[in-house]
Amino acid sequence: MTTSVVSSQPADRAHERSWWQRLPKGGVLFSILWLGILVFLVVFADYLSFIRDPDAKVRVAGRLQSNYKLGPGYSAWFGVDGNSQDVFARCIYYARNSLQIGLASTVLGLLIGGTLGVLAGYFRGWIDRIISILIDCLLAIPALVLAVMLIFRLDDIKATWTFLGWMTRKWQIIMTLSILAVAPLARIVRAQTLSLREREFVTAARSLGAKNGRIITKEIVPNLVPTMVTVAFTGLGILIAAEGALAFLGLGLTESWGFQIESNRRRLEKAWWATVFPCLMLLGTVMAFNLLGDRLAKRFDIREAAV
Amino acid sequence: MAGTGKAHLRSDDDVLLRVEDLVVEFPVGHTGLKVNAVSGISFDVLRGETLGVVGESGCGKSTTGRAIMQLPRPTSGSVTFEGRQLTEMGRDEMRRARTRMQMIFQDPVSSLNPRRKVRDIVMEPLSIWKRGTSREQASKVDALLEEVGIDPQRAAESQPHQFSGGQCQRISIARSLVLDPTLIICDEPVSALDVSVQAQVLNLLEDLKAKHGLTLIFIAHDLAVVKNISDRVAVMYLGKICEVAPSDDLYRAPAHHYTQVLLDSIPVPDPDVAATKTAIEGEPPSPVLPPPGCRFHPRCPAASDRCRTEEPQLRAIGIGHYVACHHPIHGDDISEPVVVGQPSGESLT
Amino acid sequence: MSIVIQASTRATDGPLLELSDVRTHFQTPRGVVRAVDGVSLTLDRGRALGIVGESGSGKTILSRSIMGLLPPRGTIRHGSIKFEGREISGLSRRAMRELWGREMAMIFQDPMTSLNPLMKIGAQIAEPLRLHLDMSKADAWVTAERLMRDVRIPAPGRRLHQYPHEMSGGMRQRIMIAIAIACGPTLLFADEPTTALDVTVQAQILDLLGEQRRERNMSLILVTHDLGVVAGHTDEIAVMYGGKLVEMAPTRQLFANMKMPYTEALLHSIPKLADPSHTRLNVISGRPPDLVNPPVGCRFAARCPYAQTRCREQEPPLIASVEDPRHTYACWYPVGSPEYHEAKERRRREAELAA
Repeated sequence: MTTSVVSSQPADRAHERSWWQRLPKGGVLFSILWLGILVFLVVFADYLSFIRDPDAKVRVAGRLQSNYKLGPGYSAWFGVDGNSQDVFARCIYYARNSLQIGLASTVLGLLIGGTLGVLAGYFRGWIDRIISILIDCLLAIPALVLAVMLIFRLDDIKATWTFLGWMTRKWQIIMTLSILAVAPLARIVRAQTLSLREREFVTAARSLGAKNGRIITKEIVPNLVPTMVTVAFTGLGILIAAEGALAFLGLGLTESWGFQIESNRRRLEKAWWATVFPCLMLLGTVMAFNLLGDRLAKRFDIREAAV
Repeated sequence: MAGTGKAHLRSDDDVLLRVEDLVVEFPVGHTGLKVNAVSGISFDVLRGETLGVVGESGCGKSTTGRAIMQLPRPTSGSVTFEGRQLTEMGRDEMRRARTRMQMIFQDPVSSLNPRRKVRDIVMEPLSIWKRGTSREQASKVDALLEEVGIDPQRAAESQPHQFSGGQCQRISIARSLVLDPTLIICDEPVSALDVSVQAQVLNLLEDLKAKHGLTLIFIAHDLAVVKNISDRVAVMYLGKICEVAPSDDLYRAPAHHYTQVLLDSIPVPDPDVAATKTAIEGEPPSPVLPPPGCRFHPRCPAASDRCRTEEPQLRAIGIGHYVACHHPIHGDDISEPVVVGQPSGESLT
Repeated sequence: MSIVIQASTRATDGPLLELSDVRTHFQTPRGVVRAVDGVSLTLDRGRALGIVGESGSGKTILSRSIMGLLPPRGTIRHGSIKFEGREISGLSRRAMRELWGREMAMIFQDPMTSLNPLMKIGAQIAEPLRLHLDMSKADAWVTAERLMRDVRIPAPGRRLHQYPHEMSGGMRQRIMIAIAIACGPTLLFADEPTTALDVTVQAQILDLLGEQRRERNMSLILVTHDLGVVAGHTDEIAVMYGGKLVEMAPTRQLFANMKMPYTEALLHSIPKLADPSHTRLNVISGRPPDLVNPPVGCRFAARCPYAQTRCREQEPPLIASVEDPRHTYACWYPVGSPEYHEAKERRRREAELAA
């Protein structure tokens, strides 16, 4: 009798895998750790002693460390930048901005884009046509050009309509990024809605006498949630990168990784730490969100297959 | 295009549903062609009766079921339910009428919203129509779930994908009963289920029908299943009705050649019965370009010139037994063109 | 030049296929699923075997195990599978590829998705001919046309250049059969070949399979849940339940003299045309066993109307029936035994009291 064991794990001891074998593997582990630690630092930055005030000048033994004097080391983990300020502290505080902007833009984008997508996909006909034209127009303009246009336009609008004075620079950026996010999100949601409305449980609901509004809220939207969550995570990554790009170009906030990178890049040879560390922060955060989004996509895909 | 006639319609007061000259056509893209899914059929169902509608894929039986529910509205024809014309109702009135007739679908899992708990799914109709207090609703739903053999506690906590196909179908049935309908249209409800589960669901339907005083329209492609559950069977081919008869009569003495072909093709679980010899060659033609005259004539062993040009009408050849054929297997051949009679159940000569 | 390719008549004594305690288990997050859990049977050359079971019985996994079409990771296999005397259960995929198409072939349930939508029909049929038999392109296409004629596709010359989406379900299934028999395999698997088809087309396809089998001297393993289909088209039937083989017999014998209560219950739960309408169908209560933690004892005991204590504690072995040694079954109290009658009587009395 021949036995060919194709897998390497012993068959009957599946339940006895140790805790370290049960941890999520690879990318997801990195994402969770990175984001977890980052969020913790961001939230408690004011209370943690090892994070200095980002605007304070760094002194070692009473002496001002001016002009990129300190590299990464004990006194300043990521070194010191041209204004004698702590790079690490600034990175953490700027993370707060990036995360806020990213989150707000994603949520707004999902709300607006999601609503448009559902309406277009469910009702079809002229509603679909109008919304699709709108989406196509937005998509036709290159993202960067659109962003630049919007920021400048918002500046003008703010000047003329003074009641919009509350709109800080941050909010301007949030609005811009939301509008950028609307078109792709609407597209995705529309496609999903189109396929969902043909499913039998929607016909069943209609045959029970449910009205359109009820069908949309109770039957279609709950089934859109997995897709939207997945897209939200990946989208967050993209929007944070976009925010960094805007800041790099000088169109965004000055308190941002992007701006840090831009203002310090001329000193790359002499003081690499002031540029490289913000780059790594940006890279790590975007990657973390992307990996999570990927993993979620796989997980929800499988669940859909089971259904 | 002429329909298949109305000789078999009854004038009883007990007629719950009457369909006349139903036509459903779908356009094919932008080519200008149309799919003649259902081409002028008429039939009726008495209160408390089970009408089986049987035929192969493309015959229009599922489309007929949905057209009765006006999902979507048929291209033409009338559907009279409980004395009211469904085809002429406005949207809101139709919505209300729908509470009296329900539908069960073929794929048990996809007819239930995968993201909701099963108990909520069954409760949904009651909350749409705001019937009763929430306590009353809950107890009604629980009672129905138990009746179909699903544990209400488990239903409150679980989603459809955690149940088997047979259980999902039973949940569907429970959902359709919650509004106390009079008519239930079953669209291939057991085709996707295993044999033993099929038997459970069929028995359940019979029991529920007796208990709740239901009228059923049972649509399927398996003649043995349809025969088992129906009182009366209508055989459809390519959008037309070929034969209507009480179930036992249909099997015992089929009159239409297509019915005979169907019966011969069914594999019998008995090796002593001659193995199913190919009863017929080829496949049904496309419903986009149906043959003229009798639609079955290209494949019929008894086709004559008349069959190629003149569409046969349903006429009586026995008690309650009607066939649309110029040369039925038994019953009189007719040599002259026939005048379509009034829907009074009288036989034509 | 086209040739009718017959199955090779390599002189091997003994059965074509020999399965000995075949097990196929899958690693899943829930545990190990014992899809096939100890199946032994033999199949002779030129014979048709029907494997009958419901979903979850393991019949599809069994046929894929024999062919070697299992997912590469997470599969654990035991037991021996001998094809023409040669052990094939441990072979690598590369070695199995020598067998696929040439010695054994499979047709699947869903003709819609089993054909490549982007390749012409002629190319798909010619592919195995060119791959396994080294035919030239011209020869292969001519043979393909001949094969299409064999499987009764009208106007084969024209259809050679069509694509799958231009054909109906029944025709696609015929194409699949043509592809499968192209190189004259010795063994053909048909995995629910007619479930997705209309009943008239089903009859045509089954007849076609039988005809081709006889012409080419091919063995056929027909996997289905439909007892009607196996009754008319097989020489022997194997009934599977819960991953195990529970009864096996020549077709006539099985229907005439069923031993396993499961087989009997299965037969009685099918609505038959000959029965009057509204006949109450026999229901098998309960659900198929959990394949991750199969029950101790007979796997059907929980649902068997005649189960006794012994059934729930000890698993019955597969034994040959007294009347016919070819008829094997696994039951402590088979249909017809005194305990069976006793239990039946008891249930009848209970039903009367309940009524």
